[in-house]
Amino acid sequence: MKHIIFMAAASIVFFAACDSNNNQSKTGGDTVQSTEVTTSNAAAATDNQQSASPVKEIVSSYLEMKNTLASDNDKGTAAAGDAMVTAFQKFDKSSLTAEQKKTYEDVESDAREHAEHIGKNAGNIKHQREHFDMLSKDIYELVKTFGAGRQLYYDHCPMYNNGKGADWISETKEISNPYLGKEMPTCGTVKEELK
Amino acid sequence: MQRTKKWLLVLLIAFVAIQFIQPARNESGQVLQTDITKVYLVPANVQTIFESACYDCHSNNTRYPWYSHIQPGGWWLAHHISEGREELNFSDFGSYSSKRRISKLRAIENSINEGTMPLSSYTLLHKDARLTDGEKQQIIAWTSKLRDSLATIN
Repeated sequence: MKHIIFMAAASIVFFAACDSNNNQSKTGGDTVQSTEVTTSNAAAATDNQQSASPVKEIVSSYLEMKNTLASDNDKGTAAAGDAMVTAFQKFDKSSLTAEQKKTYEDVESDAREHAEHIGKNAGNIKHQREHFDMLSKDIYELVKTFGAGRQLYYDHCPMYNNGKGADWISETKEISNPYLGKEMPTCGTVKEELK
Repeated sequence: MQRTKKWLLVLLIAFVAIQFIQPARNESGQVLQTDITKVYLVPANVQTIFESACYDCHSNNTRYPWYSHIQPGGWWLAHHISEGREELNFSDFGSYSSKRRISKLRAIENSINEGTMPLSSYTLLHKDARLTDGEKQQIIAWTSKLRDSLATIN
Protein backbone atom coordinates (compact mmCIF):
# COMPACT_ATOMS: atom_id res chain seq x y z
CA MET A 1 0.00 0.00 0.00
CA LYS A 2 2.63 2.49 1.09
CA HIS A 3 4.56 1.65 -2.03
CA ILE A 4 1.71 2.44 -4.33
CA ILE A 5 1.14 5.77 -2.71
CA PHE A 6 4.79 6.57 -2.92
CA MET A 7 4.86 5.63 -6.58
CA ALA A 8 1.89 7.83 -7.32
CA ALA A 9 3.45 10.79 -5.56
CA ALA A 10 6.81 10.23 -7.19
CA SER A 11 5.31 10.01 -10.64
CA ILE A 12 3.27 13.14 -10.18
CA VAL A 13 6.37 15.03 -9.20
CA PHE A 14 8.19 13.55 -12.16
CA PHE A 15 5.44 14.58 -14.53
CA ALA A 16 5.38 18.10 -13.23
CA ALA A 17 9.14 18.34 -13.75
CA CYS A 18 8.77 17.05 -17.28
CA ASP A 19 6.17 19.67 -18.07
CA SER A 20 7.98 22.69 -16.77
CA ASN A 21 10.99 21.68 -18.82
CA ASN A 22 8.95 21.75 -21.98
CA ASN A 23 7.60 25.18 -21.26
CA GLN A 24 11.03 26.50 -20.61
CA SER A 25 12.40 25.36 -23.91
CA LYS A 26 9.40 26.79 -25.73
CA THR A 27 9.72 30.27 -24.30
CA GLY A 28 13.46 30.09 -24.92
CA GLY A 29 12.80 29.40 -28.58
CA ASP A 30 10.40 32.31 -28.87
CA THR A 31 12.77 34.94 -27.59
CA VAL A 32 15.48 33.63 -29.83
CA GLN A 33 13.17 33.83 -32.81
CA SER A 34 12.39 37.49 -32.25
CA THR A 35 16.06 38.43 -32.38
CA GLU A 36 16.40 36.46 -35.60
CA VAL A 37 13.70 38.42 -37.43
CA THR A 38 15.82 41.55 -37.40
CA THR A 39 18.97 39.84 -38.66
CA SER A 40 17.25 37.95 -41.47
CA ASN A 41 15.48 41.14 -42.58
CA ALA A 42 18.84 42.79 -42.92
CA ALA A 43 20.08 39.86 -44.98
CA ALA A 44 16.98 39.97 -47.18
CA ALA A 45 17.47 43.67 -47.85
CA THR A 46 20.90 43.10 -49.36
CA ASP A 47 19.58 40.13 -51.32
CA ASN A 48 16.99 42.27 -53.05
CA GLN A 49 19.63 44.01 -55.09
CA GLN A 50 20.53 40.72 -56.75
CA SER A 51 18.41 38.68 -59.13
CA ALA A 52 15.70 36.63 -57.42
CA SER A 53 15.93 32.89 -56.90
CA PRO A 54 13.00 30.80 -55.64
CA VAL A 55 15.21 29.41 -52.88
CA LYS A 56 16.62 32.78 -51.87
CA GLU A 57 15.14 32.82 -48.38
CA ILE A 58 16.13 29.26 -47.67
CA VAL A 59 19.67 29.99 -48.76
CA SER A 60 19.91 33.18 -46.71
CA SER A 61 18.78 31.38 -43.57
CA TYR A 62 21.41 28.73 -44.35
CA LEU A 63 24.14 31.36 -44.69
CA GLU A 64 23.02 32.97 -41.45
CA MET A 65 23.33 29.55 -39.81
CA LYS A 66 26.77 29.04 -41.30
CA ASN A 67 27.97 32.37 -39.92
CA THR A 68 26.57 31.80 -36.44
CA LEU A 69 28.16 28.34 -36.34
CA ALA A 70 31.49 29.83 -37.39
CA SER A 71 31.31 32.14 -34.39
CA ASP A 72 30.25 29.29 -32.05
CA ASN A 73 26.87 30.95 -31.47
CA ASP A 74 24.42 28.14 -30.70
CA LYS A 75 21.44 30.42 -30.00
CA GLY A 76 21.85 32.35 -33.23
CA THR A 77 22.17 29.04 -35.05
CA ALA A 78 18.92 27.81 -33.52
CA ALA A 79 17.21 31.03 -34.60
CA ALA A 80 18.49 30.55 -38.14
CA GLY A 81 17.17 26.98 -38.02
CA ASP A 82 13.72 28.26 -37.10
CA ALA A 83 13.96 30.86 -39.86
CA MET A 84 14.74 28.11 -42.35
CA VAL A 85 11.70 26.09 -41.25
CA THR A 86 9.57 29.20 -41.87
CA ALA A 87 11.22 29.70 -45.27
CA PHE A 88 10.32 26.12 -46.22
CA GLN A 89 6.75 26.66 -45.04
CA LYS A 90 6.41 29.81 -47.14
CA PHE A 91 7.98 28.27 -50.24
CA ASP A 92 5.73 28.44 -53.30
CA LYS A 93 5.95 25.26 -55.35
CA SER A 94 3.36 26.32 -57.94
CA SER A 95 5.84 27.86 -60.37
CA LEU A 96 8.12 24.82 -60.50
CA THR A 97 8.34 22.31 -63.32
CA ALA A 98 7.49 18.69 -62.48
CA GLU A 99 11.15 17.76 -62.35
CA GLN A 100 12.11 20.74 -60.20
CA LYS A 101 9.24 19.92 -57.90
CA LYS A 102 10.51 16.40 -57.41
CA THR A 103 14.01 17.61 -56.54
CA TYR A 104 12.59 20.23 -54.22
CA GLU A 105 10.34 17.80 -52.38
CA ASP A 106 13.11 15.26 -52.01
CA VAL A 107 15.40 17.89 -50.51
CA GLU A 108 12.69 19.46 -48.40
CA SER A 109 11.68 16.20 -46.71
CA ASP A 110 15.20 15.92 -45.37
CA ALA A 111 16.36 19.50 -44.98
CA ARG A 112 13.35 20.69 -43.07
CA GLU A 113 13.91 18.06 -40.43
CA HIS A 114 17.54 19.10 -40.05
CA ALA A 115 16.45 22.73 -39.72
CA GLU A 116 13.93 21.77 -37.04
CA HIS A 117 16.57 19.90 -35.08
CA ILE A 118 19.02 22.76 -35.36
CA GLY A 119 16.29 25.09 -34.11
CA LYS A 120 15.58 22.88 -31.10
CA ASN A 121 19.19 22.35 -30.08
CA ALA A 122 20.40 25.65 -28.72
CA GLY A 123 22.92 24.62 -26.07
CA ASN A 124 24.18 21.65 -28.08
CA ILE A 125 26.29 23.10 -30.87
CA LYS A 126 27.91 19.73 -31.56
CA HIS A 127 24.54 18.27 -32.49
CA GLN A 128 23.66 21.36 -34.51
CA ARG A 129 26.86 20.88 -36.51
CA GLU A 130 26.04 17.23 -37.22
CA HIS A 131 22.74 18.28 -38.75
CA PHE A 132 24.37 21.18 -40.52
CA ASP A 133 26.73 18.73 -42.22
CA MET A 134 23.81 16.77 -43.66
CA LEU A 135 21.84 19.92 -44.38
CA SER A 136 24.71 21.37 -46.42
CA LYS A 137 24.41 18.58 -48.97
CA ASP A 138 20.70 19.32 -49.36
CA ILE A 139 21.22 23.04 -49.79
CA TYR A 140 23.98 22.37 -52.31
CA GLU A 141 21.50 20.41 -54.38
CA LEU A 142 18.90 23.17 -54.10
CA VAL A 143 21.42 25.76 -55.27
CA LYS A 144 22.53 23.50 -58.12
CA THR A 145 18.94 23.05 -59.25
CA PHE A 146 17.51 26.53 -58.73
CA GLY A 147 20.53 28.82 -58.56
CA ALA A 148 20.97 31.21 -55.68
CA GLY A 149 20.96 34.44 -57.69
CA ARG A 150 24.30 35.32 -56.17
CA GLN A 151 27.90 34.19 -56.11
CA LEU A 152 28.48 31.33 -53.70
CA TYR A 153 31.38 29.00 -52.87
CA TYR A 154 31.32 25.33 -52.00
CA ASP A 155 33.94 24.77 -49.32
CA HIS A 156 35.51 21.69 -47.84
CA CYS A 157 36.89 21.05 -44.36
CA PRO A 158 39.03 17.89 -44.25
CA MET A 159 39.27 17.69 -40.46
CA TYR A 160 35.68 17.61 -39.20
CA ASN A 161 34.10 14.34 -38.02
CA ASN A 162 37.40 12.64 -37.14
CA GLY A 163 39.01 13.34 -40.48
CA LYS A 164 36.03 12.22 -42.54
CA GLY A 165 35.56 15.79 -43.68
CA ALA A 166 32.51 17.90 -44.46
CA ASP A 167 31.36 20.54 -46.93
CA TRP A 168 29.52 23.82 -46.64
CA ILE A 169 28.34 26.72 -48.76
CA SER A 170 29.63 30.22 -48.19
CA GLU A 171 28.95 33.66 -49.63
CA THR A 172 32.56 34.73 -49.20
CA LYS A 173 35.71 33.48 -50.84
CA GLU A 174 37.53 33.70 -47.52
CA ILE A 175 37.18 30.56 -45.43
CA SER A 176 35.13 30.86 -42.27
CA ASN A 177 34.74 27.35 -40.94
CA PRO A 178 31.32 26.53 -39.42
CA TYR A 179 32.36 23.07 -38.21
CA LEU A 180 35.40 23.92 -36.12
CA GLY A 181 34.34 27.48 -35.27
CA LYS A 182 36.75 29.75 -33.46
CA GLU A 183 39.04 26.84 -32.77
CA MET A 184 40.18 26.68 -36.41
CA PRO A 185 38.33 29.42 -38.27
CA THR A 186 40.33 29.29 -41.49
CA CYS A 187 40.60 25.54 -41.96
CA GLY A 188 39.30 24.48 -45.35
CA THR A 189 39.42 25.13 -49.07
CA VAL A 190 37.08 26.31 -51.83
CA LYS A 191 36.29 23.32 -54.02
CA GLU A 192 33.71 24.82 -56.36
CA GLU A 193 32.38 28.23 -57.31
CA LEU A 194 28.61 28.33 -57.56
CA LYS A 195 26.88 30.92 -59.70
CA MET B 1 -1.84 12.70 11.68
CA GLN B 2 -5.47 13.12 10.70
CA ARG B 3 -4.45 15.62 8.01
CA THR B 4 -1.77 13.41 6.57
CA LYS B 5 -4.21 10.56 6.37
CA LYS B 6 -6.68 12.75 4.52
CA TRP B 7 -4.07 13.80 2.02
CA LEU B 8 -2.91 10.27 1.46
CA LEU B 9 -6.50 9.30 0.77
CA VAL B 10 -6.85 12.11 -1.78
CA LEU B 11 -3.65 10.99 -3.47
CA LEU B 12 -4.85 7.42 -3.52
CA ILE B 13 -8.17 8.38 -5.08
CA ALA B 14 -6.38 10.44 -7.71
CA PHE B 15 -4.08 7.55 -8.41
CA VAL B 16 -6.97 5.13 -8.82
CA ALA B 17 -8.86 7.59 -11.03
CA ILE B 18 -6.02 8.07 -13.49
CA GLN B 19 -5.81 4.31 -14.02
CA PHE B 20 -8.92 4.58 -16.17
CA ILE B 21 -7.21 6.84 -18.67
CA GLN B 22 -5.31 4.36 -20.82
CA PRO B 23 -3.36 5.62 -23.85
CA ALA B 24 -3.80 3.86 -27.21
CA ARG B 25 -1.39 0.98 -27.72
CA ASN B 26 1.26 0.88 -30.40
CA GLU B 27 0.81 -2.72 -31.53
CA SER B 28 0.03 -3.16 -35.19
CA GLY B 29 1.11 -6.81 -35.10
CA GLN B 30 2.07 -6.83 -38.76
CA VAL B 31 5.04 -6.06 -40.95
CA LEU B 32 4.26 -3.32 -43.45
CA GLN B 33 5.60 -3.21 -47.00
CA THR B 34 7.48 -0.07 -45.95
CA ASP B 35 9.32 -1.94 -43.17
CA ILE B 36 13.09 -1.63 -43.33
CA THR B 37 13.43 -5.42 -43.61
CA LYS B 38 11.30 -5.34 -46.78
CA VAL B 39 13.38 -2.62 -48.36
CA TYR B 40 16.91 -3.64 -47.39
CA LEU B 41 18.61 -6.82 -46.35
CA VAL B 42 19.05 -6.49 -42.62
CA PRO B 43 21.49 -9.10 -41.23
CA ALA B 44 20.05 -11.29 -38.47
CA ASN B 45 22.47 -10.03 -35.81
CA VAL B 46 21.58 -6.40 -36.51
CA GLN B 47 17.89 -7.22 -36.64
CA THR B 48 18.08 -8.86 -33.21
CA ILE B 49 19.70 -5.77 -31.71
CA PHE B 50 17.14 -3.50 -33.35
CA GLU B 51 14.31 -5.58 -31.96
CA SER B 52 15.61 -5.70 -28.43
CA ALA B 53 16.95 -2.15 -28.15
CA CYS B 54 15.16 0.07 -30.68
CA TYR B 55 11.82 -1.25 -31.86
CA ASP B 56 9.87 -0.43 -28.71
CA CYS B 57 9.98 3.25 -29.62
CA HIS B 58 11.03 3.17 -33.28
CA SER B 59 8.54 0.78 -34.88
CA ASN B 60 4.82 0.10 -35.00
CA ASN B 61 5.14 -2.71 -32.47
CA THR B 62 6.01 -2.04 -28.85
CA ARG B 63 6.57 -4.84 -26.37
CA TYR B 64 4.85 -3.28 -23.43
CA PRO B 65 6.54 -3.64 -20.02
CA TRP B 66 4.59 -4.16 -16.78
CA TYR B 67 4.71 -0.52 -15.76
CA SER B 68 2.87 0.50 -18.90
CA HIS B 69 -0.30 -0.79 -17.27
CA ILE B 70 0.10 1.56 -14.32
CA GLN B 71 -0.55 5.23 -14.95
CA PRO B 72 1.17 7.59 -15.33
CA GLY B 73 3.84 5.07 -16.40
CA GLY B 74 1.83 4.24 -19.51
CA TRP B 75 1.40 7.91 -20.42
CA TRP B 76 5.06 8.57 -20.02
CA LEU B 77 5.81 5.62 -22.27
CA ALA B 78 3.22 6.66 -24.87
CA HIS B 79 4.84 10.07 -25.04
CA HIS B 80 8.27 8.55 -25.61
CA ILE B 81 6.95 6.20 -28.27
CA SER B 82 5.24 8.95 -30.21
CA GLU B 83 8.37 11.11 -30.11
CA GLY B 84 10.55 8.16 -31.06
CA ARG B 85 8.42 7.15 -34.01
CA GLU B 86 8.24 10.66 -35.31
CA GLU B 87 12.02 10.79 -35.31
CA LEU B 88 12.63 7.37 -36.83
CA ASN B 89 10.20 4.55 -37.57
CA PHE B 90 11.72 1.32 -38.86
CA SER B 91 8.24 0.14 -39.87
CA ASP B 92 7.97 3.15 -42.15
CA PHE B 93 11.53 3.43 -43.41
CA GLY B 94 10.58 2.51 -46.97
CA SER B 95 8.35 5.57 -47.25
CA TYR B 96 11.21 7.98 -46.55
CA SER B 97 12.82 9.84 -49.43
CA SER B 98 16.28 8.61 -50.40
CA LYS B 99 17.92 11.64 -48.80
CA ARG B 100 16.03 11.12 -45.61
CA ARG B 101 17.05 7.47 -45.46
CA ILE B 102 20.72 8.45 -45.69
CA SER B 103 20.27 11.09 -42.99
CA LYS B 104 18.49 8.63 -40.71
CA LEU B 105 21.26 6.05 -41.07
CA ARG B 106 23.81 8.70 -40.27
CA ALA B 107 21.75 9.85 -37.29
CA ILE B 108 21.65 6.26 -36.01
CA GLU B 109 25.45 6.12 -36.17
CA ASN B 110 25.84 9.46 -34.44
CA SER B 111 23.46 8.73 -31.61
CA ILE B 112 24.95 5.31 -30.96
CA ASN B 113 28.50 6.65 -31.05
CA GLU B 114 27.59 9.43 -28.65
CA GLY B 115 25.55 7.14 -26.44
CA THR B 116 22.43 9.31 -26.65
CA MET B 117 20.50 6.26 -27.86
CA PRO B 118 19.09 4.02 -26.51
CA LEU B 119 17.90 6.51 -23.88
CA SER B 120 19.43 5.97 -20.46
CA SER B 121 15.97 6.11 -18.87
CA TYR B 122 15.02 3.22 -21.13
CA THR B 123 18.09 1.06 -20.55
CA LEU B 124 17.61 1.56 -16.82
CA LEU B 125 14.51 -0.63 -16.97
CA HIS B 126 15.38 -2.69 -20.05
CA LYS B 127 18.63 -4.49 -19.46
CA ASP B 128 18.57 -6.18 -22.86
CA ALA B 129 18.66 -2.76 -24.51
CA ARG B 130 22.08 -1.93 -23.08
CA LEU B 131 24.37 -2.22 -26.07
CA THR B 132 27.84 -3.67 -25.74
CA ASP B 133 30.67 -2.12 -27.74
CA GLY B 134 30.53 -5.14 -30.03
CA GLU B 135 26.83 -4.62 -30.70
CA LYS B 136 27.40 -0.95 -31.38
CA GLN B 137 30.08 -1.83 -33.89
CA GLN B 138 27.80 -4.32 -35.64
CA ILE B 139 25.11 -1.70 -36.11
CA ILE B 140 27.49 1.00 -37.27
CA ALA B 141 29.25 -1.34 -39.68
CA TRP B 142 25.93 -2.18 -41.29
CA THR B 143 24.45 1.34 -41.38
CA SER B 144 27.60 2.88 -42.81
CA LYS B 145 27.85 0.22 -45.49
CA LEU B 146 24.23 0.71 -46.47
CA ARG B 147 24.67 4.48 -46.40
CA ASP B 148 27.65 4.31 -48.76
CA SER B 149 25.73 2.12 -51.20
CA LEU B 150 22.77 4.52 -51.12
CA ALA B 151 25.01 7.54 -51.65
CA THR B 152 26.54 6.06 -54.80
CA ILE B 153 23.12 5.27 -56.29
CA ASN B 154 22.08 8.91 -56.03
